[in-house]
Amino acid sequence: MRAAIIPALTRYTYAVWHRHTLVWRRLIWSSLTSNVIDPLIFLFAFGYGLGAIVDRIGGMDYLTFVVPGLMAHAIMFTASFEATISAYARFHLQRTWDAILATPVTLTELMSGEMLWAATKGMISTTCVLTVGWLWGGVPDPAGALLALPVLALGGICFASCALAATAHAKTWEFFAYFFTFWVTPMFVFSGVFFEVTRFPGFVQALAWFLPMTHLIAVVRPLTVGIPLDTWAALVHIAYLAALAAAAFALARRRFGRRMFD
Amino acid sequence: MQHARNEPVIEAEGLEKYYGTVHAVRGVSFTIPAGTCVGLLGPNGAGKTTTMRMIMGLSRPSAGRLRLFGAAPGALGRDLRSRIGLVPQEDNLDPDLSVRQNLEVYGRYFGIPAAEISERVPKLLEFMQLAERAEARVMQLSGGMKRRLIIARALIADPELVILDEPTTGLDPQARVLIWRRLLDLKRQGKTLLLTTHYMDEAQRLCDRIIIIDGGRVLDEGTPQDLIGRHVRGHVFEVMKPLPPGFDDDGIEREDIGDAVLYYTTDPTELRRRLPDEATYMHRTANLEDVFLRLTGRSLREGS
Ligand SMILES: Nc1ncnc2c1ncn2[C@@H]1O[C@H](COP(=O)(O)OP(=O)(O)O)[C@@H](O)[C@H]1O
Ligand SMILES: [Mg+2]
Repeated sequence: MRAAIIPALTRYTYAVWHRHTLVWRRLIWSSLTSNVIDPLIFLFAFGYGLGAIVDRIGGMDYLTFVVPGLMAHAIMFTASFEATISAYARFHLQRTWDAILATPVTLTELMSGEMLWAATKGMISTTCVLTVGWLWGGVPDPAGALLALPVLALGGICFASCALAATAHAKTWEFFAYFFTFWVTPMFVFSGVFFEVTRFPGFVQALAWFLPMTHLIAVVRPLTVGIPLDTWAALVHIAYLAALAAAAFALARRRFGRRMFD
Repeated sequence: MQHARNEPVIEAEGLEKYYGTVHAVRGVSFTIPAGTCVGLLGPNGAGKTTTMRMIMGLSRPSAGRLRLFGAAPGALGRDLRSRIGLVPQEDNLDPDLSVRQNLEVYGRYFGIPAAEISERVPKLLEFMQLAERAEARVMQLSGGMKRRLIIARALIADPELVILDEPTTGLDPQARVLIWRRLLDLKRQGKTLLLTTHYMDEAQRLCDRIIIIDGGRVLDEGTPQDLIGRHVRGHVFEVMKPLPPGFDDDGIEREDIGDAVLYYTTDPTELRRRLPDEATYMHRTANLEDVFLRLTGRSLREGS
């Protein structure tokens, strides 16, 4: 009955996603440690430490400023890690992908399952950061923050898709050092997590706007802080995330198709 | 839904595969009728795994046609895939899951409803004698148990065709015998089996037909008896060198293997009569191994 209602694509993608949830539940403590405690340490260090030095930034106290940045960082880092290091282990080391492709699951469905799982795991981290940030008094507009969650989820889909595109090109583990140095770290420092992008010289700002993280934070921060957000600007940011996600996923699909079947 | 007996389940026609410049499979054709067990034999690097991966749709053929279950040739659709179970050469069990979960999760990949999965899994664990290890992690299993679990996994969707790539390589005799018994059970259930093995006794015991391939080409195919009759007559005499003077070996098929010569004959009495008394020799009935070595040569292969 349900099979008739839920399109097949969803069902087989869900099977892959479900496999990841089983493993996650089995390893729940170590999963929670890295994906939840990590961002909480950041929150504590920056909210408490830097907050004492930086009085106000962009017209708000530092904790309020940094909470949305750390929410975005949580999903960016978690989704990027899951869709590179972990996905590569399943693809290359454990040959889990090979096993799955010998079933009715198609490569596109398998990759969608990986991608959505990476985004899901990112959302778990982000939600924890939001909860603690809110309890701590760093979220003036809780309703706006809830509205930010779907945007963050789209961000997660985008980060996961970009990470999969990298994984599709990886030949060795060392490859991911480049990915983290030239992709993850710049999004950590240049996209407005800790201070405004406008503090950088013009060419750095121009580069920063290529990074999906910058667009994500540009939407999420006004929402959690409760300051006005220009609808058109928000739509442009969201469209950028969606377009990049689609392009990266298509690239990953093409590349993996060649690697798996040729 | 079950494919009618003797209808071809796999029809391969001129299959070829290039990996870059490596010509791994060079025009392989064969037909596998429903309900039979066919052995694909060949030395390492012959192209067995590549051929099986092409059948499974895990590797795109560079040329040739492949028809499964009589469907139009081309990409393997979802409905056809769900009728095939694969036991790959390399262990790709899910190390992050337990034995039971490996089967359950695999069942979901086939789109089997959860209720049906929970009904089948205990039966399969029982069938492959893994019930006591249901909650163990894959890492804790012995080689034989892992192989059995991979076979159980391949059976989760009750496939009509089971493809087994070296299902018993590296196992001890007890583990092999158990797997043989299970494969014979599957045959009895009417499933079609395609398997590779390096053990000729295994092939002779399980397979109705044998396809021998080497260098990406089919060298010959037939029933084990056909092949033995055709290539090594039925009796082998291994005569040590130097050959005794006055040994009249005219008209007897032979193969020089270095320190001895193999003679193949249908009439052992006649050959024994011709051999001088001082000859050192060994006589035995010919088997599939003789056929294999005769057809594929005796030099070592890659990875051997
Ligand atoms: N992914 C691959 N890339 C390049 N060459 C390969 C690949 N897989 C197999 N080969 C080559 O193709 C040939 C056939 O290999 P394979 O099908 O594994 O043989 P078998 O299973 O009979 O041992 C070998 O020469 C092997 O080295
Ligand atoms: Mg092989």
